[in-house]
Amino acid sequence: MKRKAFFLIVLFMSMTVLSGCWSRKELTDLAFVIAVGLDKTKDGRYMATFQVVNPGNVAGATQRGGGSGGVPITLYKATGDNLVEASRKGSQKISRLIYYAHTNLIVIGEEMAKEGIGPLFDAMERNPQFRTTAIVVIARHRTAEEMLKILTPIDKLPANQMIKTLQFTEKTWGQNISVHVGEVINDLTSEGKEPVISGFRLVGGVQEGERQTNVQESEPDARLSADDLAILKDGKLVGWISGKAARGVLWGLDKIEQTVITIDWKHKQEAIAYKVVRAKTSVSADMKKGKPVVSVHIGAEGDIGEALVPLDFSDPQEIFALEKKIQKEIRQEIIKAIERAQQEKSDIFGFGEALHRSDPQEWKKIKADWNDTYFPQLEVKVSVDASIRRTGLRNKPYMFGR
Amino acid sequence: MEQTKINARQLFVLIVLFEHGSTMVIPLGGEAKQDVWLAILIGMIIGLLLFLVYYRLYLYYPDLPLTGYIQDITGPIFGKIFALVYVLYFLYLVARVLRDFGELLLTFAYPETPLFVLNAIMMLTVMYAVYKGIEVLARTGELFFTLLYVLAISGMILVVAAKLIDIHRLQPVLEEGWRRVFKVVFHQTLYIPFGEIIVFTMLFPYINNPKKTKIVALSAMTLSGINLAIMMTVNVAVLGADAVSRSTFPLLNTIREIQVANFLERLDVFFMIALIIGGFFKIGVFFYAAVIGAAHLFNVKEHHRLVYPLGLASLLLSIAVASNFPEHVKEGVNIATVYIHMPLQIILPVLLLAIAWIRQRM
Repeated sequence: MKRKAFFLIVLFMSMTVLSGCWSRKELTDLAFVIAVGLDKTKDGRYMATFQVVNPGNVAGATQRGGGSGGVPITLYKATGDNLVEASRKGSQKISRLIYYAHTNLIVIGEEMAKEGIGPLFDAMERNPQFRTTAIVVIARHRTAEEMLKILTPIDKLPANQMIKTLQFTEKTWGQNISVHVGEVINDLTSEGKEPVISGFRLVGGVQEGERQTNVQESEPDARLSADDLAILKDGKLVGWISGKAARGVLWGLDKIEQTVITIDWKHKQEAIAYKVVRAKTSVSADMKKGKPVVSVHIGAEGDIGEALVPLDFSDPQEIFALEKKIQKEIRQEIIKAIERAQQEKSDIFGFGEALHRSDPQEWKKIKADWNDTYFPQLEVKVSVDASIRRTGLRNKPYMFGR
Repeated sequence: MEQTKINARQLFVLIVLFEHGSTMVIPLGGEAKQDVWLAILIGMIIGLLLFLVYYRLYLYYPDLPLTGYIQDITGPIFGKIFALVYVLYFLYLVARVLRDFGELLLTFAYPETPLFVLNAIMMLTVMYAVYKGIEVLARTGELFFTLLYVLAISGMILVVAAKLIDIHRLQPVLEEGWRRVFKVVFHQTLYIPFGEIIVFTMLFPYINNPKKTKIVALSAMTLSGINLAIMMTVNVAVLGADAVSRSTFPLLNTIREIQVANFLERLDVFFMIALIIGGFFKIGVFFYAAVIGAAHLFNVKEHHRLVYPLGLASLLLSIAVASNFPEHVKEGVNIATVYIHMPLQIILPVLLLAIAWIRQRM
């Protein structure tokens, strides 16, 4: 009997320990931060903007047809000398505990990026709640705060809209790149690779964008779209790289999955579209006669997507000629990108790391001057091997069939 | 002395779990940067040689634990002192691993819970297992061994499926030459976890099939060494050597990188389970060794009478051993290895073997 009573007491005692209530946080007490915006104030302090989910207004907002429904997100701002301080100070304005486990996006204002993003990530890397898989973007011409205000259609949460836009455009078009915090930190600490971060542009005004009416139109007044790529050097934004050269960057980084290359054909501009289905880039570096030499090889496979000139694809000779042209076009893209990076003296391709891998002894001697002296004069050999595998459901274009 | 016996398979499982222990979560050999796998494998090979020294000693005295034959070899007075040193050494290691375990949990999962509470819960569990005896510990091991392997294999598949591995991060091999590798070997990987196998000299008398001991222990150590090397290599290939040497728990960071098919992510619990299983067995084996060592030394008939006092002592020691985590790590890596592990894992056993060998000749 005594034993049983003792057993019961122990059981009850363990209840208090095992329920895991020590630092419990109720769901209704948490403010889910999905995006953090970082800007610098005029007096040199950090301003953090938190995009917090408004749970009641996310689910079912589409069914209600808008109007009565509130906005899916709310912004909170806080300033501080460092990010942790700003974050804690934010609690003065928000009725719930700021919770970072679902933060998937970091937006950095352009001004902030120009001053340097170096110190921003320590708190994110250190805090166990925060994930280093959060995507980083730079707000083009704007502050991060303005970007985060904009309400978006289709994906109700603006942060999700931005992340998905970035990921899908990287996959199918290849002029933008989604990098996460961990990668940025790796690039910042590496001596032979500088970070490259996608920009985001706001088309339209902030005034219209922050209202619910923005998403009630079929063509919203204010829209977010992925923009040029930011080149960073020593943690500071030094320049932008756009268009085909931006895709050249992705070719160089082996990030291209699919894209479309348009080429001219016999006096007709942009006559044929080549859809890349698979691509692989390999980079190797060597020291030759005391000078570093990098060779980049790109292999691409794809189909014909569109042809606006008379051309018989059933003739292998034509296909070969076409492949040559495509190779030239891809080669030009990457060369443009390299020239642009050399102009900014920032090795965003990681050629320095390639050299580090192949010749660590020589690398040690030149790494201090890599970005400023060696990289801008670097000899890069680019070779491209593009092959057309299929031509789609037709061989000759209909317009010129006869 | 306890009458129970453990079989060869249980010994194998115990050694593997023990070797993985807390070492799989810390940046083991992280200072060797991308050559960490070399540092671990070389540490393992030297560790295997070291084990042969222990095994030779065991062959001279197949029925006695380390604290028993040390008295026979060095005489009653020195022997008792050395035996006491070893008991204290095992207790210190209990406290160290317990502290590691508590600090790790505190850093990433329970920031608001006091260290003492976490350590106490773990220590109570270990004390209960050791109170029940070595057989219970070994059989629990068999259960968790499977679980740990299922976790490790599925984790590995996910890391590969998420395309996280970049082999380039492992290059250049031997950037700083062999010196850096051997420095790490002799400062860390040799002692932790391979030299710590000395604790099993306390368990060898309980093995029911002594002929298999050698092959089982050697193969278990080899398996653990290869596993640990693979794990650290994957960490470097995913995070980069710099991030690994900077992070407190590279394995956790690697697991956090996993994002497969938009829903297989945030698998921190993998890390948590591995940490708790590994921690439990490492603490358990050390604590068992300390308890039977003390029982043998002080002629306590029923060894489990010592479980509670010694458990409480090591719990308090785990709190008092360092005032903060960096201090604890520094002690473990820079001081304990050279001043504690080296004499007790290498110098003393080799001397013992020499004396035993000479006396055999006379």
